[in-house]
Amino acid sequence: MQPFLLGLASGATCLAYCAPVLVPLMLGEARGVRRSLLLLAQFLGGRLAGYLLFGFAAWATGRLAPPGTAHRGLAFGIAYAALALLLLAYGVFRSPTVCAGEPRGVRALLRRWPAALPAGLGFLTGVNLCPPFLLAFAGAADSTSVWGSLLFFALFFAGTSVFMVPLSLAGGLRRFHAVRIVGRLAAVCVGLYYLYVGVLLIVREVAVP
Amino acid sequence: MTEAPGRPQVVRPRLTAGKSVLLTVPMMLLTAMLLAGGPALPTDPLLLTSVAVTWVLLNVVFFRMLSTGRVFAYRSALFVTLAVAFVITFSTALLSTRGSLALSDSDIVQGKTPFCHLVIPFVIVPGIFTRTIIFPGTLVGTFASIGSMIVLWLGATLALGRAWCSWICFYGGLDEGFSKLGKRPRIATVPRWLTHLPWAVLIAVVLLSAVSLSPVYCEWLCPFKAVTEAPAITNALVIFQTVLFVTLFVALVVVLPVLLKRRAQCGLFCPFAAFQSLANRVTAFDVRIDRERCTDCGLCVRTCPTFSLTEDSVRAGRTLITCTMCGRCVDVCPSGAARYHVKGTGINASANAARTLFLFPAFVFMSAIGGGMISTAIWRLLRLATTGSMF
Repeated sequence: MQPFLLGLASGATCLAYCAPVLVPLMLGEARGVRRSLLLLAQFLGGRLAGYLLFGFAAWATGRLAPPGTAHRGLAFGIAYAALALLLLAYGVFRSPTVCAGEPRGVRALLRRWPAALPAGLGFLTGVNLCPPFLLAFAGAADSTSVWGSLLFFALFFAGTSVFMVPLSLAGGLRRFHAVRIVGRLAAVCVGLYYLYVGVLLIVREVAVP
Repeated sequence: MTEAPGRPQVVRPRLTAGKSVLLTVPMMLLTAMLLAGGPALPTDPLLLTSVAVTWVLLNVVFFRMLSTGRVFAYRSALFVTLAVAFVITFSTALLSTRGSLALSDSDIVQGKTPFCHLVIPFVIVPGIFTRTIIFPGTLVGTFASIGSMIVLWLGATLALGRAWCSWICFYGGLDEGFSKLGKRPRIATVPRWLTHLPWAVLIAVVLLSAVSLSPVYCEWLCPFKAVTEAPAITNALVIFQTVLFVTLFVALVVVLPVLLKRRAQCGLFCPFAAFQSLANRVTAFDVRIDRERCTDCGLCVRTCPTFSLTEDSVRAGRTLITCTMCGRCVDVCPSGAARYHVKGTGINASANAARTLFLFPAFVFMSAIGGGMISTAIWRLLRLATTGSMF
């Protein structure tokens, strides 16, 4: 129960960190609340996978310490850059006006595996460094077994996810075509910012090892 | 007014000279009070001259708006003057109080950064959740303090909605000034999706400001840093930021407005503009198209400075939510179909009455904020001419 309550307590911060990725996605794909709930589930699934991966990796290597004590900047820089590229790909290639005709390349990929986009964004959001994540990591460090550590992350994740559910109401804006364009353009704007953050982290790590 | 040969005769409601004078008298009294700033007139002859010139300018413009029915032409001239005056006044005020236009780390820590209305949408969410204002300014008691700017903005917003952007925003005047250069647009149309960009920038910047607890727009995207104040250049990151500010200013405030002959920064990028559009829902005024008079010539759609009219919206007899009530469509409409309107009244109600009712609050706010700037700018220039120094 404690990790779940911890998740509830830090949910607002968690929402703030996920919102720049989740809100453009919800607006860009606004096709009803039910569809938005499905997207949210896919996003959260990806995010949970990111959390669990970190929990498992930390346990498996026997280094239950805050992630990335070595090459932290590089690891998170790459994660930010990957998140940015996925957002940019979404914003540019899902745009109905920019790419007309038969889908090819990234656009075809996004159409073939529609769940890959929200899950991928969720995963990359999950593996990024944020205060709630560090909080969970510190809590999980107390667990002596891998299952205890994973369970801690899972319950913490469940507590924080409660705060994401209201965002699915954005799906109700499906009547407004402009909302979808705004969502995708916002994804590009956020993507550019995260690309900058990612590149900066990588450059700092490379320039100042 | 003599129309150029070949141009359609514009049907424009206007007031008689007598009525215009009568309605200008209250404005003369109000602007006199606003500019004098107290019961006594300034004793410095240069200051007195600058106040008098500003007073005459404001009231001549207001009188001409009423008597000719041309709102856009006169508003635009005053609006551009206000923007130029702002740059002069703001820069010289910073130089005299802080000694430099560059914003040092010490100024930021001490909260000496003047608050600007463009930041308002980005401080709301962090303000609610963290009870802190994510801006390095002072809450009350200093030049352009956070409290005074928010109160001013709130009052003007409730009265005017997004008309703020064409009557008060001292940045918009720069955009408008450049958009008036050149005879005809080099780029005739912009893709419709691009007009949604301000909303996307608004969403992105609000969310990213909430995450980083810093005013992301001021740090990375504000084109007007190029002509006001910007962080002192101390490292490579600040050089990059400065290059970005200058690039955005040149692209959005100079080049694109000249090519489009429209306000590119205000209509295609400014997130504050998108946020301010929401206030059009609460204000008492809007601009409507009288469908019985409209000939669907499309002139208003092609010339709207902020892309706030489309063929669909004209057919519906309305402007889009982004309308700044600048008066452009009202001025150019050959059939007098575009007109200022008071919500709750019929479209056939007196166009003169609606326009006059709108002009009073709009002009009072414009004078209250811009009058002092224009007067101070004139004073600075007079000092420069007579003493060789602006200070």
